[in-house]
Amino acid sequence: MDSTPKNTGAERWLFAEAKKVRGLLFAVVALSAVIGVLVVAQARLLATACQRVVIQGEGVESVTSLALTLVLVAVGRSMFSWILEHRSSAAAARVKQAVRSRLYRKIQALGPAGLGGSDTASLIETVTKGVDELEPYFTRFLPHAVLAALLPLMFLVIIVPSEWRAGLVLLFSAPCIPFFMILIGRGSEKLHRRQWSRLSRMAGHLLDLVQGLPDLIIFGAAKREAAVIARVSEEYRSATMSVLRLAFLSAFALEFFATVGTAVVAVIVGFRLLSGNLSLGEGLFVLLMAPEFYLPLRNLGLSYHARMQGVAAAERIAPLLATPDPEGFSGILLPSPGPPAVRFEGVSFRYGGVRGGVSGADLELPAGSCTALVGESGAGKSTLARLLIGLARPERGRILINGHDLTLLAPDAWRSCLAWVPQAPYFTSGTVRENLLLGRPDASEYEISDALEAAAATQFVSRLPHGLDTILGEQGAGLSGGELRRLALARAYLCKATLVVLDEPTAGLDPENERLVGEALARLSMGRTVLVISHREQTLIHVDRIAEMVDGRIDRVVSPFEFLKPSEAAA
Amino acid sequence: MNHIVRFLKISRPQRVWMGAGILLGIVVIAANTMLMAVSGWFIASMAVSGVSGVPFNYFFPSASIRFLAIARTVGRYAERLVTHEATFRVVAELRVWLFSRFEPLAPACLERYAGGDVAGTLRSDVDAMETFYLKVVAPLTVGIVSCAAGLLFLAWFSPPSALVMLFFLVIAGIGLPLLVRRLSVEPGRKSAALAAELRSRVTEGLQGIEELILLGAVDRQADVVDRLSAEVVAEQERLGRVNGLTFGGMALFAGVGVAGVMLAASGQVASHQISPPHLVMLLLFSAAIFEAAGQLPGAFHHLPAAQESARRIFDLADAPGPVPDTPVPCSVPADMTLVFRDVFASYLPGKAILQNVSLKVPSGSSLVVTGSSGIGKSLMIEILLRFRNYQGSITLGGTEISDLSKETLLALISAVPQRPYLFNGTVRDNIMVGNFSASDAELHSALVDSCLDMWVSGLPLGLDTLVGCNGSAVSGGEARRIALARALLKNTPILLLDEPTEGLDAETERTVVTRLSERFRRSGMTLLVVSHRPACLLLGEQIIQLNPAT
Repeated sequence: MDSTPKNTGAERWLFAEAKKVRGLLFAVVALSAVIGVLVVAQARLLATACQRVVIQGEGVESVTSLALTLVLVAVGRSMFSWILEHRSSAAAARVKQAVRSRLYRKIQALGPAGLGGSDTASLIETVTKGVDELEPYFTRFLPHAVLAALLPLMFLVIIVPSEWRAGLVLLFSAPCIPFFMILIGRGSEKLHRRQWSRLSRMAGHLLDLVQGLPDLIIFGAAKREAAVIARVSEEYRSATMSVLRLAFLSAFALEFFATVGTAVVAVIVGFRLLSGNLSLGEGLFVLLMAPEFYLPLRNLGLSYHARMQGVAAAERIAPLLATPDPEGFSGILLPSPGPPAVRFEGVSFRYGGVRGGVSGADLELPAGSCTALVGESGAGKSTLARLLIGLARPERGRILINGHDLTLLAPDAWRSCLAWVPQAPYFTSGTVRENLLLGRPDASEYEISDALEAAAATQFVSRLPHGLDTILGEQGAGLSGGELRRLALARAYLCKATLVVLDEPTAGLDPENERLVGEALARLSMGRTVLVISHREQTLIHVDRIAEMVDGRIDRVVSPFEFLKPSEAAA
Repeated sequence: MNHIVRFLKISRPQRVWMGAGILLGIVVIAANTMLMAVSGWFIASMAVSGVSGVPFNYFFPSASIRFLAIARTVGRYAERLVTHEATFRVVAELRVWLFSRFEPLAPACLERYAGGDVAGTLRSDVDAMETFYLKVVAPLTVGIVSCAAGLLFLAWFSPPSALVMLFFLVIAGIGLPLLVRRLSVEPGRKSAALAAELRSRVTEGLQGIEELILLGAVDRQADVVDRLSAEVVAEQERLGRVNGLTFGGMALFAGVGVAGVMLAASGQVASHQISPPHLVMLLLFSAAIFEAAGQLPGAFHHLPAAQESARRIFDLADAPGPVPDTPVPCSVPADMTLVFRDVFASYLPGKAILQNVSLKVPSGSSLVVTGSSGIGKSLMIEILLRFRNYQGSITLGGTEISDLSKETLLALISAVPQRPYLFNGTVRDNIMVGNFSASDAELHSALVDSCLDMWVSGLPLGLDTLVGCNGSAVSGGEARRIALARALLKNTPILLLDEPTEGLDAETERTVVTRLSERFRRSGMTLLVVSHRPACLLLGEQIIQLNPAT
């Protein structure tokens, strides 16, 4: 019914999705037409029975067959409306399943390079709850919209021959309903939007305080806040009620026209009956049909919220699905075997932000070397590492691998040559073994124990209740940060990667773990090209060269001895 | 059931609004059913009069029809307003009550609530409680009272019709919802469990996307998500089918009920017990009264979940405080020397984390406690704040801290806890939590010492910048420094810091440590820091390393 201009894109997308399940939606329309016919039959039967008993003075026996038919019609009506419900939820199920699969794969395909700033939490919300919120649009709004267009017209065509005056009342009152509902709905929507952030803050006020209770207690502020709760709740009430007073007017308009329309029909029919120009059967039929005439319009009005919810979800989903795949990932060259030599040439990348970008970085990583990347936070270290592993493409400049531009290499082949250990390594909720094998499902038992040994992980893994088959749990819970870091190193070791990139492998670790990880790193760098982002002395003593980044550029490349000496003097 | 009674007791001060809402609900249904009944009687009488020529005084019924139409429409609007007014008034009562009950429970009892998902579960439980009147109490009362009144009205004219309707109303209003509820338990439980699993898989897949791409495992993950999604959607579809029974069932019982009334009342017309127009009145009335029964399935649908939420909340509210307060406080300690002697403490009963810890922080000195994560450093801070119990002895200026009232103790202590919480307000609001009566000069000094001054002056709104829900609009390091500023603003003789520089970059960390050391020397406070960060070691005159208990 009402479509504000900014919704049209989302609404168009919803229609396109609806088209894909049009078979089911046609079934919904056909079923509603059948239900409409049954509603008419029900009214006819009742009216006829009354005509017979009241006017013709017939006994119970003359209406028994009518009553039985009425029961059959009721059975039919309830069955068809159940099937209708069923079909529309099947349509919604199919849409949800297809959209979620496409959306998830799209987000994967876009990868971190294509998603720019979208934060993961809101993407997760969109893939899970967002897709579910499409449902009411398909189960409630669409069927109700079809019914509202179809049934009143159908009823009108049937009513007019019986009593055209009543038909006219219905015809002219009906459009008032959507008209006033839209008018009022827009007004209250605007008011609600204007107050939205304040309202939602007040709605969450109690929870906010309860979550922060320990802090309130430390600062002796709990008693004071208890008094604030009463005040905020009071403000919340008056603010919300001022929105609701307007919002409920739209339901009021709907009820008003439907009820007054029915009442006027009753009065018109009454006087036609009094003048003897209409039979009770016809008159009663018209009266019974009047509320049925308005019902689909009322239902449509009530499913306004379902539509808003669906459109809001579509507004988040459709743009994601329409995002073009990132460029620069269609190379076909295969990287040559052995540890690669890497050269950054004037590489720039600043994904919109001011901090953390790289601008004009030049750096050489000789084959088989182990280089540390140091610098203030925000100097662009992580960005440089992500460009190297191909999670993003430079905006300017290029990265050469053994002399070939990285964009010319086949992405999959390049990825199979490298291992990446970020600050918070990723673990599935599967077993330790499954996690180790993520990158190389075919590794042998011997290779696994070799990798664990190299990463100084053998000991703690063997201490786990089921060894390698222990379930790690969500986000690798159950092992300490240092142990998880070493597990990730073992996984990288197992990968047979020739290029290894590590981001702060020892950040936040205690000295013992830091030492173990540092030693594991030294073993890992044998016969590989390694780039490690780190500040830690324990790590820096294991590398060949140190590249220092300042403001997105490589400032200098020095030996660890040279790098650590002045800082020791300063300390 | 007793949860409902208890809920009503708490909302008792709002009984007038609650009652008025219910009364209006009944008035609306009465107006609607009477509108249909009078219309039916009116047109049947008009028809009889038209056929027989006997005059009929149509003035009264046609006026009633207009009046009832207006009454219904205006009544519905008033009902909506009043029930919502009542709801929000009850919300205010509930919130004050809940907060006063929760306060002594934090944090030890709260974090055990609902298996740890405190925020999520509390949100939905409080929400269920807050809409309990609107979604359960009001429609249930209105539905049952209206049905009963409607049946009495029917019985006045036609007892057999009333019996028929009683049967179908009970089936439709009570039997059907119970059946639907029963059938939806299993798919409901399954779809919730599957949705949770889907969520955790999607979370895993998107959080770990970089590594999954590099490990070549994205397609496998997408297949897992597809499979789970298909299962979730199938369960949701089943659930929808079960809930569809409500609509279908209502249509069925209404149709059959009206047919039954038709037979029963026609018999009475034939035997001249009622006049013919009354038949039409009863038929239309019976069809309309199903609107009242139509409120019941929704109310019954929300009832079990609302009861479960109420149970969880009342259980929590009734839990004894984990650390009893001392009713008769001792005198204020002489100096600020903190002494731990053979202290044992744990998060959960049974598994002692801190074992046999003894240490001393002389008044006006500073101590840094280090040790690997999980060793119980944060627990030391929490027992000093009296958030958790301990065994052994902890004295402050010679007085056992459990002999001090919490108020006395906490007036002497300020702290940055392990996970400081930022309230959904401005930066200023959050810092002023530390001391509401702080002067601008004190505020400025706290900002400088927590290295926030430059950051704040760079913000377009400065101190009036909103920090978002749980500090979501600021970075972890900024949140930590806001918590530090808050603790400094309280300006107490004892300051406890749990990883005060977590999430800060090296340079900021150095500045914060330097300024804190200066403040420590200036103020003569007693400082206890727990940290595993080397930079923080500079804060301590003494350093102690905690080792795992053997």
